[in-house]
Amino acid sequence: MLDVGRTIPLPRPTRIVLGFVLAGLIGLTAYFLPLFQSASTPIVTSGGALINPVSGPTQPFTVLLLGSDDDSKFAADQFNTQSMILIRVDPTSKQATMMSIPRDLWVPIQGQRYNGKISTAYQTGGVQATIATVEQNFHVSIDDYIWIGLEGLIKVIDALGGVNLVVTNPVMDDFYPADINTSSPYGYYRVALMPGPVHLDGAHALQYVRSRHGDLRGDFARSERQQELLLAMKAQSKHANVADFPDIAKALNGELKTSISLDRAHQLFSVVDQFDSAHIKRIILGPPYTSEGWAGDQSVVYPDWGQILPIVSQYFPR
Amino acid sequence: MKVATYLVLLLVMCAFGFGVYRAAGALKSDGTHVERPSSTYAQALPGKLFVAQGGALYRFQNGTFTQITDDKGWTQPASSPDGTQLVAVQRHLNYSDIYLLTDSGRVVQQLTHLQSSQVEGNHWAFFPRFSPDGTHIYFAYDDKVPGTYEVDLSIFATKADGSGQDVVWTVPNQYTGGDTDPVPLRDGGLVYTKYSIDDQGAVHSQVWATARAGAAGSPLTPATDDCAQPALSNDQKSIAMVCRRGDLQATELVLATFDPLNYTLGPETILMQGQLAASPTFSPDGQTIAFLAPVQQGGAFQLWTVPASTSPSPSGARPITQNVGLDATAAPVWDKR
Repeated sequence: MLDVGRTIPLPRPTRIVLGFVLAGLIGLTAYFLPLFQSASTPIVTSGGALINPVSGPTQPFTVLLLGSDDDSKFAADQFNTQSMILIRVDPTSKQATMMSIPRDLWVPIQGQRYNGKISTAYQTGGVQATIATVEQNFHVSIDDYIWIGLEGLIKVIDALGGVNLVVTNPVMDDFYPADINTSSPYGYYRVALMPGPVHLDGAHALQYVRSRHGDLRGDFARSERQQELLLAMKAQSKHANVADFPDIAKALNGELKTSISLDRAHQLFSVVDQFDSAHIKRIILGPPYTSEGWAGDQSVVYPDWGQILPIVSQYFPR
Repeated sequence: MKVATYLVLLLVMCAFGFGVYRAAGALKSDGTHVERPSSTYAQALPGKLFVAQGGALYRFQNGTFTQITDDKGWTQPASSPDGTQLVAVQRHLNYSDIYLLTDSGRVVQQLTHLQSSQVEGNHWAFFPRFSPDGTHIYFAYDDKVPGTYEVDLSIFATKADGSGQDVVWTVPNQYTGGDTDPVPLRDGGLVYTKYSIDDQGAVHSQVWATARAGAAGSPLTPATDDCAQPALSNDQKSIAMVCRRGDLQATELVLATFDPLNYTLGPETILMQGQLAASPTFSPDGQTIAFLAPVQQGGAFQLWTVPASTSPSPSGARPITQNVGLDATAAPVWDKR
């Protein structure tokens, strides 16, 4: 009769093999630990009913990409969104559009009684107010959002091994904010990025997309460079493999907020990866879509909705 | 005895687990990793070349790189007409200066003094080049307007021994970043890159030529071609340059004939396209062009050569290095000896 209560000892060779398998699994687990930690960390801080996640991989989707100064000048999670880019991807037609929203755009802010710069929506009402402000002003429907801080951007680019892009003209700025890894975030230093094809690390790539003082086009030039950097990061990410993920996860620790789950992110990246960057439509809302002016003592950008909404409706249909 | 066997087995298993951990790390894409040129070997080229990487200057001769300066911000070397001296930029956080060095990297003289105690009081100097007679050094300098945000580079010239007054050669378009890449001509003229921003907000670069300091000058290339980084052959009959034609992720390496009397370009030949070719320079005999470009998309910049031929073959361009990550805004210097 078989004694069901008694453990049958495994033959010795099998135990040794299992020991090695276990040791190997522990090694792999240790390597990918940052990835598991980020997966278990609740990075999803969705705006509840404001987010409209799409259900299928072939459905078009719109993502609001937010970039912020998140240094010690700001209270926790009360940042200005210096960069706001709407991205729409249509997996079926293989068309994608990026539209930069000027940070100084003077609009009604969700939850506020008066107009304000659109970059302040996050400061006053968090991501929910930001999404609602963009949706209401631009008549778009946002499916997901991604927020990234300055240090996160630097670290992600470094984890990707830097980016290659063409610096179109010398980027010169005598008042570039020295607000990263410092106790006095109001300092500044000089930036000079030389023109031509270059390989940039994270810190220099951030300088490239953040400098604005020495360019005739001011913030619009910065918007253009931000879109260029996104394309360069997309190109660079093609070389990343699963072994790079732990470094990227470590880089993003605390510097990324998104409504996109890891599963969904994987699905989206595989869709985006199929797109040829040369065929991605890029929109900058400079003149004639907007005009610069003053609201009290604030330098602002006034929208011409008669010009903006038709192009939004064309490239970001609800 | 049995306990010892178990302990050894346990240690081996731990070592195996650690090995798996390290092996997973080794699978990372190698785009992040570059080597110092001095720890690599490459196919030899005739003469000697100077390149910049990670704040240091290197000499490449007989297939071997030798580091000739410390790694404290050195970049953009250029050689004297007789090949015995170099000028180069040493870059600091808020300013840069131009130095005269021997061809073995020893500092002979500091030619500019652009440091200030106030952040905005500092200045930049880039792209130094000897005049063909070796008496002057041309460079790009930020001749700033105090009290404004304007920081545009202009081309200046100074005597190679550091004496006398600097001469302003070009007036940049405002708030474009300015003029770069001076290439002094034998007749006293200058070829350089000028940047402009059109009514639609698009940035353009053009190769320009001017006969004398302060003269208006004229473009050699149309704005829509977005050409920059000109290099001249020693006989001044050919120009190599990089043109992006509106693209932001690829450039073309272009060869054109140059008429140094009338300052005009002849027909163009595209030597390489669809990649990020940068910073060309001619070999001393004018038969070959050295330039910088990644070997694989997204990789760091390597040294390449391509025949300077008006009938290029598809396999003409070849990488000389594989994994050194050179400073792409520092054109290689190619000397005879």
